[in-house]
Amino acid sequence: MERKTAIREFLRNLLARKGDSQPFSDETSVLLSGRLQSVDAVELAVFLEENFGVDFATMGFDQERIDTVNAISSLIEESSTLGK
Amino acid sequence: MTTFVDPSRTAIVSPRANSLWGFRLIPRIETYPRVLAFAQTVAGKLTILGLFGIGAYYLLPHWKALILCLAVITALPQYRRILLTVSTLLWACGIWWRWTDHPRLVEAGILFILAALLFWLATLFRNSWFGRWPVATLLTGFALLVLLASYLPRGGSLRTVSWDFLTVASAYLWFIAYSLLDISSKSRDPFALQVGTYHPFWDWDSSYTPFAKGAAYLRRIGAQNAEQLAVAQLKGLKLLLWSVVLDLFLRKAFLPVVHGYMGIPLYEDVFELSAQRVAFPWYLGWASLIANFLETMVGVSIWGHRVVASCRMAGFLALRNTYRPLASRSIAEFWNRYNYYFKELMVDCFFYPTFMRYFKKRGRWRLFAATFVAAGFGNAFYHFFGDLNYIKELGFWRALVGFQSYIFYTIVLALGIGISQVRERKTANSGWIRGQLIPALGVAGFYCVLSTFEHHVKRYPIQECFRFLAHLFNLVS
Repeated sequence: MERKTAIREFLRNLLARKGDSQPFSDETSVLLSGRLQSVDAVELAVFLEENFGVDFATMGFDQERIDTVNAISSLIEESSTLGK
Repeated sequence: MTTFVDPSRTAIVSPRANSLWGFRLIPRIETYPRVLAFAQTVAGKLTILGLFGIGAYYLLPHWKALILCLAVITALPQYRRILLTVSTLLWACGIWWRWTDHPRLVEAGILFILAALLFWLATLFRNSWFGRWPVATLLTGFALLVLLASYLPRGGSLRTVSWDFLTVASAYLWFIAYSLLDISSKSRDPFALQVGTYHPFWDWDSSYTPFAKGAAYLRRIGAQNAEQLAVAQLKGLKLLLWSVVLDLFLRKAFLPVVHGYMGIPLYEDVFELSAQRVAFPWYLGWASLIANFLETMVGVSIWGHRVVASCRMAGFLALRNTYRPLASRSIAEFWNRYNYYFKELMVDCFFYPTFMRYFKKRGRWRLFAATFVAAGFGNAFYHFFGDLNYIKELGFWRALVGFQSYIFYTIVLALGIGISQVRERKTANSGWIRGQLIPALGVAGFYCVLSTFEHHVKRYPIQECFRFLAHLFNLVS
């Protein structure tokens, strides 16, 4: 729950910086829909690396897997499983 | 870091600039409810295809085959991806490889089998070296094959066969790379659908850059319902119309006025004068360089618009390849807006892999390094191995030496993009003139001057490029 809150907050800030204040659900596409762009994907990747220890070098980088709050949450879950 | 921003979605300009750039010669008909409703009817689809056919007749040599493919896909949208594969294969076998100087259907067939094998191996052995580095392995393998082929004895049949195969392989290299990138996706397409993205039928005369990217991108942008299809086709029709307008402007207005009425010589001719040590006024050098820069920009726009327009007509709402490059306020933004799909190719194949794996503790150097690998190394690799005839004729090392001018170009470009990305974050807006006009002129000036090193790939040593540059500033006679 806390994890998803952090992800939502980060995405909300990213969207706000682009002047996008429209609401989004945990299943809303933010990246592939064009609301966020490739530069934001890089920032999001760094955020996930620094805060949740996601290692894209191991997991591979796929924009589809960081497209929604739920997808990101699943990615973090998978990453922590791989790390154990 | 606008290098990696989708071009048509970038709109960071002041209100005054917005009103200026917001002018539309072609209205946004896809937003008119009645037009949109009509476009979803049979009569509407036939009208759009008919109008597109008229534009295609003006612009394209194989317009009948293109319209036929588009008509079938429009009629059966539920089978769009399968029809894309069938159309692409028919196009490749029936038109493209058949109409080359020497039909290379056998080589193309072998290459498709090899691509299928690579796709299967990378999928099966995800944790092997190849599975983790499929694109790097592909590109390294291709480069080594070219190196080996350049040492085969001249006149031998093995050399002929090798170069024939490598010529076909180079045409598909970056398309196969996108397929291999798709293996990490959970919803990846089977190889049969991947083939549909290998020089799709709408990509009839493009370079070796995949338009529009690979299967993963097509999955995202495919129209999901009748309304989305109508929007995509209306936008495709508009883009083709814009391409026709630009083509008419270039051929009927710009070129006759600039080179005829104003008497500005062709850039190639002025450069030749410089190389032959023939004196000419410095301002004539500037005039021809600027004219050439603008001509090239319009030419790239026309070419990209035609391909993307056809892609949209097939039901894929792809982004434009060129989107108002002269409105760019930074070097990075220009690179993103000028040739979007080439930039995306560099990002997907070079930037992301570098950024995600290396320099993780180096802060902004991580971004700089990844940018340098993409805009510098990747760019040079793409162009060097994109012209195999040059390597075949000169041999590998002599060809590489002859490529010095373009290598210098990529180094300066990569440095410029890298620095502009770092600086961009600190820059604040301050009115239209300081915030938009002056930066845009500076960016255009940078690319215009740098093009001195881009256009003379292989023909002149780099010293001649520097000499011409000195001539522009009246430093040599």
